[in-house]
Amino acid sequence: MSTLRVRIAYTKMEEAKYIAHLDLTKVFERALRRAGVRLAYSEGFNPHPKLAFGSALAVGVEGAQEYLDIELEQEIELDELLGRLQEQLPAGIRIIEGRQITSAAKALMAVLNSASYQVRANLSLPLKDEKLQESIAAWLAREHVPYLRYSKKGKVEKDIRPWVKELSGKIQGEEAVFEIEVEMGNQGSVRPEEIVASLCDMGNLPLDLEHLRIKRTGIYVSYNGQKLSPLDEASGK
Amino acid sequence: MNDLSAADIRGQVERFLPRVLKPSRYLGTEWNAIHKDWEQTKVKMAFAFPDVYEVGMSHLGLRILYHLVNSYEDFLCERVFAPWVDMEEKMREHKIPLFALESYRPLQDFDVIGFTLQYEMSFSNILNMLDLAGIPWRAKDRAPEHPWIIAGGPCAYNPEPLAPFIDFFMIGEAEETLPQLLKLIQEQKENPVSREEFLLKVAQVEGAYVPEFYEVSYKEDGRIQEIKADPRVPQTIKKAIVRDIESSYFPTNPIVPYMEIIHDRMMLEVMRGCSRGCRFCQAGMLYRPVRERSPETLLRHAEELVKSTGYEEISLTSLSTGDYSCIQPVIRGILDKYSKDKVSVSLPSLRLDSFDVKLAEEVQKVKKTGLTFAPEAGTQRLRDVINKGVTEEDLYSTAEAVFKAGWSSIKLYFMIGLPTETQEDLDGIVAMAKKVVELGMGAGRKNVNVTVSTSSFVPKSHTPFQWEPQEGKASLEQKQKYLREKLRDRRIKYNYHDVETSFLEAVFAKGDRRLADALELAVQKGCKFDGWHEHLKYDTWLECIAQVGLDPHFYANRAMDYDDILPWDHIESGVSKRFLIHEHHKALKEARTLDCRYADCTGCGICPERGLKIDLKG
Repeated sequence: MSTLRVRIAYTKMEEAKYIAHLDLTKVFERALRRAGVRLAYSEGFNPHPKLAFGSALAVGVEGAQEYLDIELEQEIELDELLGRLQEQLPAGIRIIEGRQITSAAKALMAVLNSASYQVRANLSLPLKDEKLQESIAAWLAREHVPYLRYSKKGKVEKDIRPWVKELSGKIQGEEAVFEIEVEMGNQGSVRPEEIVASLCDMGNLPLDLEHLRIKRTGIYVSYNGQKLSPLDEASGK
Repeated sequence: MNDLSAADIRGQVERFLPRVLKPSRYLGTEWNAIHKDWEQTKVKMAFAFPDVYEVGMSHLGLRILYHLVNSYEDFLCERVFAPWVDMEEKMREHKIPLFALESYRPLQDFDVIGFTLQYEMSFSNILNMLDLAGIPWRAKDRAPEHPWIIAGGPCAYNPEPLAPFIDFFMIGEAEETLPQLLKLIQEQKENPVSREEFLLKVAQVEGAYVPEFYEVSYKEDGRIQEIKADPRVPQTIKKAIVRDIESSYFPTNPIVPYMEIIHDRMMLEVMRGCSRGCRFCQAGMLYRPVRERSPETLLRHAEELVKSTGYEEISLTSLSTGDYSCIQPVIRGILDKYSKDKVSVSLPSLRLDSFDVKLAEEVQKVKKTGLTFAPEAGTQRLRDVINKGVTEEDLYSTAEAVFKAGWSSIKLYFMIGLPTETQEDLDGIVAMAKKVVELGMGAGRKNVNVTVSTSSFVPKSHTPFQWEPQEGKASLEQKQKYLREKLRDRRIKYNYHDVETSFLEAVFAKGDRRLADALELAVQKGCKFDGWHEHLKYDTWLECIAQVGLDPHFYANRAMDYDDILPWDHIESGVSKRFLIHEHHKALKEARTLDCRYADCTGCGICPERGLKIDLKG
């Protein structure tokens, strides 16, 4: 049977940010079934739907541009597929774009290697932009930034600096807004809240770390100084 | 605490929601959730499930009543669950009252809050939820501006431990009576009469029980002297019953949660009631007579469910689905239509004698899962006592066929502490488990895996065993220890229920109105989520029961006399006390009573009493 492989860019905003990554497969699988679209399934004892995500988004973090590959067991016009699927998706999950990809295209997980985030933090005391810029510059100037991570195994110190490609920030009314770009890889990555916490700690900044609003603004395939979106990567642009 | 608007609550909750466990429990915007216009509806009901979201959302009764109430133009129904302990802590810290999920409005804004009583061990959560909502516990302390607090479900058949807290109970199946009662509440809002006058009207509705019209007096030894009804209300309350199940309301657009719940699938209710007559089983007595839905109706429900939910699994539910007379055509019909869409079928609560391996293979074609059987007792003698119509040969031939068909794991459910149980019955459990392992090996299964689970017998109201005492804690624990040792085998896994929980369950299952004081005290001392072993404060419970001058053993471990006035004697399930006594006698004589679907009428009383008859479609 001929199959159709599609890469979809979508948002996971507002309430949808609370849907756990592990539950997202079911959300899409059920939406597709409601839409009357037949997914392809793996063979075997417990067939799994052929539906693969890029990198997991933590619960509570918004995604402005997330990616998903699906494989269908039927022919359908791309626009019709996207339209029908959109109607069945929960509020906050909006399809931005979809492209047919070849069966040879590498899985999302294998190609994604960098991500950008926006983090908004409330100011608990007034903060001058100058002071903020100084702190960011000092932070970026360091070769190593140790950060204590608490895990089930206890405290682990980790150098988070190597993962951070870009970091900038500005004061906007009552909040500080940071734009961050990090590398992702097999050895893991750094969480945006860890960068902000470390910056806050080193620069002694008056930020309310309890109520950060985090949004992943993009995930990319970067190599040789080029940054491609997963859609462009797979369609060979 | 109650001045917060829905928007305030939403805004505040939003601040800590990312940091509580499973925040999608609290969103209220799941697929198919109904958000009605608050201003345009006349009666606002909150359906309250006194346990955590994933338990409550799995409950078919909630699914039915939520959509039923919302199908009326004048009514709206929202959901509220017990917030998990981390969420509750945050809510109390920020002084956020308990709110309903759809609108985020505080419960105080609703006209009526309906609790479902599925399990005695959730009673403490009811009071805790009222406390979180800022609503006084006792009906007598509530004012006209407070919502009506009502309750229904199986535990409403012995509602007495909750009597002071609930304005009225609804006994039986509420599909037809709940809208009538909401209509009365609407009239009361439009043209208010006194509380007493209103409740007198309520008491005339089938199945409605207003506890304050019934006075209970006690003898010196603690037994009941008299249950005296106000002359203006019925002396006994007859359960409400849906006469025509075929045309009764069934929602085919249930809510699809954004997280995994306990029963995360479509439910097709194939029938109500079970007339197998297991003597320990309360549901088997309460939901009589058996009423089946036709395959045509069920296949239509299935079609609508798949379209509206997109679920990957459909479960045929009832008390004993293997007994449904049209099970083959229904399963065939679903599989023919949906296996290409990878929708699988599952059957809960299979019985050995009605189990057909071909059926199981059919069902498991799409997806293989484990199989569960419930022999309930280890010897034929004890199975005759409890009237569980299953023989050893049934189990062995089924198990063998199942192993030969490719399964390697089987679960077996038993009860310990059943009336008349002896050592031989325990050894019978061990022997059965070992024999099943052998059959698996004999059938060439290399990784045979048998799970044996035992629960401790809890005598329940309205059953032939309602007069029976529960076995003592020490001796039940001894039995568990014995089984644990005897079942030590790498191919057998032994699970057992915590005895302390079963004991408190028995206290409340057989309890009377005086226990309300203990319940109140226990919740004040922090008891909640008692059904969750990690949260049960057993010693606190014992202290509270003692502090109000009661003896828990009086309820759980005392054999009652046939002459005793039972705390639930004014509640009628339709099965007569005479029949229950007769069945109890037969149990002690190890005599069976056959299912009236396949043999003679057993004389339980429900059909002549209510002008009904069993309704089979096959």
